[in-house]
Amino acid sequence: MESKRGLHAGILILLLLASSALFAPALAPHDPTRQNLGQDLLTSTQGHPLGTDKLGRDILSRTIYGSRVSLLVGVATVALSLSIGFALGALAGYFGGWLDQLLMRLVDVLLAFPGILLAIAFTAVLGPGLDHVILALCLIGWTGYARLVRGEILALREREFVHAARALGCAPGRVILCHLLPNLLPPLVIQATFGLAAAIVAEGSLSFLGLGVEPPTPSWGSMLNEGRQFLLVAPHLTTYPGLAIMITVIALNLIGDALQDRLNSGR
Amino acid sequence: MKRYFFQRLLLLLPTLLGALTLVFFLIHLVPGDPVEVMLGETASAADKEELRRSLGLDRPLLAQYRSFLTGLLTVDLGRSLSERASVSALIRARFPATFQLTFCAMAVALLLSFSLAAMAARHRASWIDRAALLFSLFGLSLPNFWLGPMLMIVFAIQLGWTPVSGRGGLGHLVLPSLTLGLGMAAILTRILRAGLLQAIREDYVRTARAKGLSESRVWLKHTLRNALLPVITIVSLQFGSLLAGSIITETVFSWPGIGRLTVQAIQARDYPLVQGCVLVIATTYLLVNFLTDIFYRLADPRIHYGK
Amino acid sequence: MPRVIVGLIFSPGLRSFNRHGIIYLFIAVFFLLAGCRFSPAPEPRSNYLVVGIESNPLQLDPRYSTDANGVRIGGLIYNSLLRADERMRLQPELAERWTAPDAQTYLFDLRRDAKFHDGKPLTAEDVRYTYESILDPKSRSPKRGMLKPLDGIDVLGPYRVRFRLSAPHAPFLEQFTIGIVPVGSPGAETNAMPPPGSGPFMLESVNSGEKVTLKANPVYWEGKPSLTGLVFKVVPDALVRVLEFKKGAIGFMQNDIEPDVLPWLERNTQASVAAHQGTTFQYIGINLTHPILRQRKVRQALALAIDRDSIIRYVLKDSVTPASGLLSPLNWAFDESVPQWPYDPQKAKRLLDEVGYPDPDGDGPRPRFRVSFKTTNIDLRRRIAEAFKEQLARVGVELEIRSYEWGTFYNDVKKGNFHLFSLAWVGVADPDIYFQLFHSDSVPPIGDNRGHYRNPEIDRLLEAGRAAVDPAQRKIIYGRVQKLLAEDLPYIPLWWWKNVVVQAPHVRGFVPYPDGEFISFKKVSLSP
Repeated sequence: MESKRGLHAGILILLLLASSALFAPALAPHDPTRQNLGQDLLTSTQGHPLGTDKLGRDILSRTIYGSRVSLLVGVATVALSLSIGFALGALAGYFGGWLDQLLMRLVDVLLAFPGILLAIAFTAVLGPGLDHVILALCLIGWTGYARLVRGEILALREREFVHAARALGCAPGRVILCHLLPNLLPPLVIQATFGLAAAIVAEGSLSFLGLGVEPPTPSWGSMLNEGRQFLLVAPHLTTYPGLAIMITVIALNLIGDALQDRLNSGR
Repeated sequence: MKRYFFQRLLLLLPTLLGALTLVFFLIHLVPGDPVEVMLGETASAADKEELRRSLGLDRPLLAQYRSFLTGLLTVDLGRSLSERASVSALIRARFPATFQLTFCAMAVALLLSFSLAAMAARHRASWIDRAALLFSLFGLSLPNFWLGPMLMIVFAIQLGWTPVSGRGGLGHLVLPSLTLGLGMAAILTRILRAGLLQAIREDYVRTARAKGLSESRVWLKHTLRNALLPVITIVSLQFGSLLAGSIITETVFSWPGIGRLTVQAIQARDYPLVQGCVLVIATTYLLVNFLTDIFYRLADPRIHYGK
Repeated sequence: MPRVIVGLIFSPGLRSFNRHGIIYLFIAVFFLLAGCRFSPAPEPRSNYLVVGIESNPLQLDPRYSTDANGVRIGGLIYNSLLRADERMRLQPELAERWTAPDAQTYLFDLRRDAKFHDGKPLTAEDVRYTYESILDPKSRSPKRGMLKPLDGIDVLGPYRVRFRLSAPHAPFLEQFTIGIVPVGSPGAETNAMPPPGSGPFMLESVNSGEKVTLKANPVYWEGKPSLTGLVFKVVPDALVRVLEFKKGAIGFMQNDIEPDVLPWLERNTQASVAAHQGTTFQYIGINLTHPILRQRKVRQALALAIDRDSIIRYVLKDSVTPASGLLSPLNWAFDESVPQWPYDPQKAKRLLDEVGYPDPDGDGPRPRFRVSFKTTNIDLRRRIAEAFKEQLARVGVELEIRSYEWGTFYNDVKKGNFHLFSLAWVGVADPDIYFQLFHSDSVPPIGDNRGHYRNPEIDRLLEAGRAAVDPAQRKIIYGRVQKLLAEDLPYIPLWWWKNVVVQAPHVRGFVPYPDGEFISFKKVSLSP
């Protein structure tokens, strides 16, 4: 009961966020990059309900537009990491042997490697930008999914229905996609919701290291980072993007938790 | 067991070698030249060439890689290119700070998550449960670079309980450990809570209750212990992200650790120093995971390991 | 201590655990781990001034230091033959007297009361050793290139030394400000502490990444400093430096503070905040091999389109002064008749129309042309880049901001891989720096003419300025150079950064130096 309410609340919040991202141009009262140098660090005023940032840009509009970038980073990172992680994890789990050894050592190497260092080096080579942020986050992100998928497949591999499918002459790809994937889906979806939340926060950390999206594009993480130096004189610069991140993360986790509960009680 | 132990230990080596190879090629691929940084604006092209030669940077990359590996075998990490010290001296000076911070953050995470999860699980579906969940979500959604200064403003400036930043006595540890540990506390709380709730439903807990054991004894002896094992795995895996995540916390809290040293080394394209830092971070991570694995197997008799 | 944690432990839900001591176990473990280093909190030592600095000094040895904090802290430990005063005039320091018998010889008589911190007297041999160890090809000193005009150093007596140049080279005077180390000091190939100096403070300890501690030299030849010592505390985050100041853990800081926070500091602490004219010159560098940017009128249009006054007033809060060129008004060769580019977007549009880049759709979104603008990824730099982008968009030029981590950025700039970039020149003293920047022989990898600027008249002037020894004559030559460059715009001059000094009320007697030197700490005292 409890978790059902959480699920509904989470989905509702997420839908609201997604539609605000989708309809940003209609919702935002101002151009998010339009500057007005004399009108900086204003708190709530006529025309700027959430105030303005250091360059006199409307914070409400930037927060609305920021949802586009932040959600995109989250969704794209998860989609990409999940695909790579699923493919490699399935290969490792299904075929085992040297391939498994090789892929799992690679996962170990990446996990032992300081991830932020990898991101710094990566963006130093390619330069900053939205696509590079997503790639940098995927670089480490796929390992979790790969481990999960491999573990689950190892457990499922010897189950009867898999044996049966193989005996009927199904190709490995078919076994994996048609027979194993449906069983893997629930844990993957749960991990993906948590991963989405983590990616949105991680984009902020990259912004702090100067590796985020390129200005003047607003993202919640970069707004949080830009506003940070004004924490003493204009705390509202960070309050709204911070709240936006918090709400998104909470919504995603509510969904993840509810799904987890359902999965647990179903098993 | 002994055999398993050595097998696992040996398996660490290829992983470590992989990480070191990765960093070597990565840092050499990144645009930028340590010689330019070292010699500054006025050096002549000949001087730069000369220095490149004497540092061996003019040789083919594979030859440099070979001598990097030879250096590793003789436990020689080389000299820093940007600071007046050997790489090992710099790491010796900086690593204890990171290790200390990481461990304290872990301790904070464990303390918080155990308290919260126990409260939440005992008072399931009450406001306490929901508050604990919400708190853990706060921890997940606040980036350290923002949380750190907020904690400073509240605890160091307004309440005046702690110092603002820097390394010193115990008081200096509180805020950075809290900042670094909160995210992990969030993850642990949820896993622990789920584990506890599952354990309550298990038969042996019901039996223990039926036997008339006191409630707290049931919790401590049966429930908590069983919820503990998955936590150990998560903790050791998270150790790596703490170690790496400390780069930001160290910067915010002026903490003289290895994370900041690594960033400084990358900026100066100080190849030997970057390699040394990665060596230490990766080794620590692998060792902690190795020890966890061994401990796990000792603690859980259900797991069998070879013959 | 951690009241928060203890509070949580004794929360109601856990009461039942208390008896079993698991909590105490946790507390014990926590303390045990926390105590890895049980050095007690360093209590603020009396009569020590704590200075907040942004980054770890990399090299203190004056033969090697080029990083700002290394140079500034080293300046307190080491004396040099000459030293620039607070108005950038070279004054004798270790030199008691100095003369230039001809255009390529300098003769120094050293003071006899200067002693190194280990008690040995500083003699002419030490001076020769310092310079020769820099010239040693094995030294790897970044200062070696600057000593190239040096032909030889002769020790003429225990306190008399002569420098011979291979040809007259007026800017060489600048090289007499290198700190002197004792004979036999090891070079960079050592883990040892930096060698002793003869300055007002001596090195007490270096904690890598944490702080550098100096203590007063009790037998300093100018008299013992009033401070017992100085602690340079590394606090990388600007916001945290401000909080440390508010807390009282830092008593002094200079520069790298968010301009908007300064009024807050004045209101909420007893800080005295002051800004003084500095020499650090911020500019936009231009790639003159770019087909569009190579046209002078395009560069002039860009200069006209940038509204520096608004940026200075609103973004930088007057922490800079608008610049006409590389040399600041504090420089002896500064020509005050060189005009600055005003903000005139209409004229900028006209110029762009003239050279054949009409705006395809007037005020619409399509630009006349698009160029990239490279900058470092520091917040303030990015913010300024955003303001430029908006202002240039108003005249129909699209700026694509590309911000990089320092190493990559610097590499691109050095290699000439840019359209436009913004960077600053720090510590500009002798105008001969123009040679390194704009002479056509100074194209990388030899010099720093990164935009490939070529102008025969500038070349001729710069060669003449280098060979001339008479300051009055040089001033005329460099005045001409400044005027030409202001018209030609191989750089678009932006501003000179002021030195912003924030100090606690009990700090007395600090004198700001144009390039941010700390040397006046030797006269600073703390009132009780």
